[in-house]
Parts: sequence; C-alpha cells; structure tokens
Amino acid sequence: METLKSSTLQLRQLTKKYNNFEAVRDLDLNVPSGSLLTLLGPSGCGKSTVLRMIAGFLNVTSGEILVDGKDISRVEPNFRDIGMVFQNYALFPHMTVESNVAFGLKMRGVAKHEQAERVRDALAMVQMTHLADRYPSQLSGGQQQRVALARAVVIKPKLLLLDEPLGALDRHLREGLQSELRDLQRQLGITSILVTHDQDEALYLSDYIAVMNGGCIEQLDTPIALYDRPQTEFVARFLGVPNIFASTVVASSSSEVTVSLGGQNIIVPTDTGKTVGSSCKISVRPSHIEVARSEDPRQGVTAVIKSAHELGERIVYHCEVADLKIEANAPRISSSERFAVGQSVKLVLDPAHTVLLRD
Amino acid sequence: MAKTSDRSKYLISPALLIASFIVVAYGYFALTSFFPKGPPGTQFVGTPTLDNYWRVLGSGSNQAVLFSTLGASFLISLITIAVAVPMAMVIVRAKREWVGNLIMLAIAVTFLSGGVTRAYSWLILLGNRGLINLGLTNSGIVDAPIRFLYNWSGVGISITHYLLPFAVFTLIGAVRNLNPSVEEAARSLGASRTTTFWRITMPMLLPGLMVTLVLVYSIALASFLFPMLLGGGKVRMIANQIYDRMFVEYDIPYAAATAVVFLVSAFASIWLISFVAKKIEKAVS
Ligand SMILES: Nc1ncnc2c1ncn2[C@@H]1O[C@H](COP(=O)(O)OP(=O)(O)OP(=O)(O)O)[C@@H](O)[C@H]1O
Ligand SMILES: [Mg+2]
Repeated sequence: METLKSSTLQLRQLTKKYNNFEAVRDLDLNVPSGSLLTLLGPSGCGKSTVLRMIAGFLNVTSGEILVDGKDISRVEPNFRDIGMVFQNYALFPHMTVESNVAFGLKMRGVAKHEQAERVRDALAMVQMTHLADRYPSQLSGGQQQRVALARAVVIKPKLLLLDEPLGALDRHLREGLQSELRDLQRQLGITSILVTHDQDEALYLSDYIAVMNGGCIEQLDTPIALYDRPQTEFVARFLGVPNIFASTVVASSSSEVTVSLGGQNIIVPTDTGKTVGSSCKISVRPSHIEVARSEDPRQGVTAVIKSAHELGERIVYHCEVADLKIEANAPRISSSERFAVGQSVKLVLDPAHTVLLRD
Repeated sequence: MAKTSDRSKYLISPALLIASFIVVAYGYFALTSFFPKGPPGTQFVGTPTLDNYWRVLGSGSNQAVLFSTLGASFLISLITIAVAVPMAMVIVRAKREWVGNLIMLAIAVTFLSGGVTRAYSWLILLGNRGLINLGLTNSGIVDAPIRFLYNWSGVGISITHYLLPFAVFTLIGAVRNLNPSVEEAARSLGASRTTTFWRITMPMLLPGLMVTLVLVYSIALASFLFPMLLGGGKVRMIANQIYDRMFVEYDIPYAAATAVVFLVSAFASIWLISFVAKKIEKAVS
C-alpha cells in the first residue's frame, strides 16, 4: 500500500459536558501530519471522550475539531473518513474476515475488483491473508485486532483513532503487536491518535504524548522529553518518578534556582526563576542520581544508605537524610562500586534531568 | 463430573414428577380420541376407531380453522416483533432514562392486567362507537366507522397487544447484549444509520429475533380468550373449537382428536420455523 497524503488534526477549545460534569475542558491540541500522538492518563481523565468526539460518536458541547483546517465537529461519523480501532475489536460477527475488511470499501462504492485487491493488500499487511475466510469468533484476540486494524486502514482514512487497541491482550502478544502497529503507522504515514494508560506502550509507540488529567492536557511532549523532564507533580507521579521533594528556594537567577534539599543546597536549571523563600517541588528519576563516595568533590546531597538491592539491570539504593527519603539507581553491570547499608554517600543529581516542577 | 450429574438428578426430580403427571393426563386425553363418544356421563365407549380423526381432517371448515390459526398466529407474531424491536431498542438505549422507564411501565401494566380486563378495554376502544372510531369519524378522517370487532383485525390487534410484553422482555436481553462499538465501527467505515441498522444491528439481533418469534408464535397459537370475546363467534381459532366440542357438544373424543391434530401441527410448524430460522442465520453469516 502506498503512503497516504497525511492530514493534520487540530482541536480548539474542545469541551464536553455530561449534564453538569465537564469530562473534557477547553482542550487545545495540534497533531502534525503523519505523526502518532498518544493520550495518556489515569482512568476517567477523558481520553475516550476526546477520541469519541473526534470520531463523531459523541456530540461536542463546544469547540472545534479541524481536520486539514476544516471543522468536522458537526459532520456525521460516516462522512468523517476516520478509521477507528476499539479495545474490544468490534468486528462484525456475522461476516468473514474478508467481508469485514471489505465493508468500508463497499460503503464507499469502490469497484468489485479494486475492493478485492485492496482487501488482499490490507490483509497481507497484517499477515492475515491465510485466515480471510474465517469468522471473528474463530480468531484469537490478537488476530481479531489485526483484522480490525486492516479494516480501519483499508479505507485510507484521514485519521486513525485507536482506543486502547492492545488493552485486552496479554503482555507478550501486546509487545509483538506494538512493534507491528508502529511499523504500519510509520509505513502508511497515517496521522493517528492512540489512547492508552500503559506508559511503556506510549513511550514506545508515540511521536508525541499528551498526559491528561481531569479533562485537560497537563503536558504535551516527545516521549523522551516527557520521561526525562516531567513538568508537573501530576505528570511526574503518573510516570512513576519516586523522588518528588518539597523544598524552598534559597537563591534564584534567570537560568537557575538554588534550593535547599536535606539541609544542603542544590542548583536546578530553570528558564523562569522563582521568588526566593517560596516553596517548590523538585523531581528527579532515580537513575539520574549518581551514588558517589562521601568525599566526592561535586555538589550533592550527603545521605545514609538504608537499603541496597541488586535487581537485574540496576542496583536500587534507598537513602535518607533528615526526613528526606531518596531513591537512587546505579547500573548493576557497569558499575564496580558497591555501597553498603549504613554507609554515608554523596548523591549527585544530574542537573539536566532535575526538574523544578510547575505549580 | 459424576458428582454433578448425581446432584442434578435430585434437582430435576420435581420437574420430572410434574411433567410425568401432565404426560399421563394428556396421554389419557389423547387416548380418548381413538374411541366413539359415550352416553352422557361417560367419556368414551366401544372399540378403537379413527373416526374422530377423519372428522377433524376431512371437513373443509375444520381445515380452514386449523390453517387460519397457524397462519394468523405467524402473521401476528411477525407484526408483534416488528413493533417490539424498536420498543426494546428505545428501552435499552434511550438517552433520557425516563423514556425507557415509561415504556417499561406501560408494558408492565398491560402485562399485569388480566386477559378479560384487556379484552374489555379493546371492546371499548375498537367498537363501532368505540373511542378510536369516534375519533376517526369526528375528525372526518373516515365517513363510516371501521369495523374492528368480530373480524380478524380486532382479534389480531388484541393478540398483538397480548404478545408484546413477551416479545419486548425477550428482546431487551438481546439488545443489551449488542456491543455498541460494532455499530460505531460500521458508522466510521461509512455506513449511514439506516444501513448500519439493516446490515449490522439486525443480523446481530437475528438469533434473539428467532427465539422471540418461536416464543410468541407458540403463545399466539393457544389464543382462546381474544378470539372468543373480540371475534364474537365469527373468528374462531383452534382453542375455541376444542372448547366448544368439550363443553358445548360434550364430545370429548372429537375434542381430543382436534387437540392432538393441533398439537402435532403446532410442533411441526414450530420446527419448520426454527429450521428456516437456522438456514437464514447461516445465510446471513
Ligand atoms: N455517558 C456519560 N455520562 C456521564 N458521565 C460520563 C459519561 N461517559 C463518561 N463519563 C465521565 O466522563 C469522564 C471521562 O470518561 P472517559 O471514558 O473519557 O475516560 P477515560 O479517560 O477514557 O477512562 P478509561 O481509561 O477508564 O477508559 C469519566 O469521569 C466518566 O465518568
Ligand atoms: Mg476509555
């Protein structure tokens, strides 16, 4: 299948109210053409609501949905040209795999021979050619989802929407399908939106990730930027950063602030600065903290090791200073040094990955 | 495995007991059909004969009643289902909950009001001076009142109304089991609402529709009260015939033969419907 002319998607102040409850609030979002954006967030934050408004299954309360600059928010779903993949596969149970995939083409009045050809190509793309005559009930979950994917892309949609497409599959299968999905999306270049609450899946598949909370987007970034530098406490916690410290600003300039951590001063880069004396929050991943000998000359926090565990790739140290609990990870295989419980060490925070959280 | 079947033996024994009583009673009744009618006070006398069956099968008017019972029941069942499907859909899927609840309530009320009450209500509604005809003539839609009573239309309407709760309650389950994502998938692939209904929703409902059809058809076949009260002796279904032969003519063997013929043809027609239904389901899938 040749690549498509990709579309862009923009959401403008998109809002959805159920009775008086705002499930989605003033949401703005740009999805560049050909990219895959993931909506990531805890249950109930409004991910599916956004997706279903784009697909046209839910009316928008206010706001605009622009595809290639044209507002489609009042267009019936069958005229939107959007492919959708559901968590529960949603194949037509009374049709064979082949008829399932052909359905969209039939609705578009595509000529019979072209239908056959495109169905064949789409099934080949998801390696389902040999099962074309089966019924959905005769397929495994993974196979059904492949058929659903073929059915969605065979119509060459402007957008591909995926609502937890791999959520019902077991871990092993999910990983296999993730890479297939990624290859397929890149190859076809379809502008796509994926919903998931599995952050590994989001990090692996996405060009951009939007973390949602209570109907709003908290942070929109590339996977690496999001992983390394979560901007708010919510995002940091959601992404599983264990080190989130409450602290006070001791000194501030336009490029960095000095904060007090466990009675010791730490410099954190920033681009805004912050009032001296105000309280603030700092986040840093355990693997961005180096555990060094206490006599190390670099700036850092001196703490005592409370526990040390060697787990596969990493050594996990739990350290304490004053009331502060800090987790630090060292690579197990490449680091020769081992620190013992009760030993005093210096924890060196990597400034590039230590974040002054927005409040 | 062995244990559960052991236990199930005890669990079904009350049902078996009742069933065997019924079979014995019915068997005795069926047995009478093979004997001549006895003098008043007895059920049958003499030597076995097939005379009663010749009387049932040989007469044109008997055949007419049998076939009109089967045909009308089938037609009424189809109409009932056509009315019940949209009702079940609304009950399950109405955005405003009270709409569904209201319909449920209306159905429950009809369901709980007895047959005689309902038949009487229909008499009031459908008579030549009934509410419907008054409305139609007064508003000038028709010149003369439409005759609903003492023909199949009134009987059909009242039986449909009687069957509706059975059909709606059965179909609610089927509609609940539909996965709305499947219909949404069809919509996003370019199918209009109508196309989605006929090409996706209905085929998915088909097994439920077939079960409902067999259920309401069996109930319709046994109609007795509505043809008696709203048919006024002009519309007769098999049950009315059997009743008359038993309690008006006191010809138990003749009634028994009629009942046996009816039972056999009812089973045959239900079997035929299920058979065709299976074929249709296969063809659609
Ligand atoms: N029909 C509805 N009526 C009222 N509230 C609703 C309705 N549908 C969803 N909501 C609410 O809107 C919010 C967002 O729901 P949504 O389904 O978009 O969440 P989600 O992010 O997809 O969650 P999940 O990860 O569990 O799928 C939830 O709080 C939910 O309770
Ligand atoms: Mg959801």
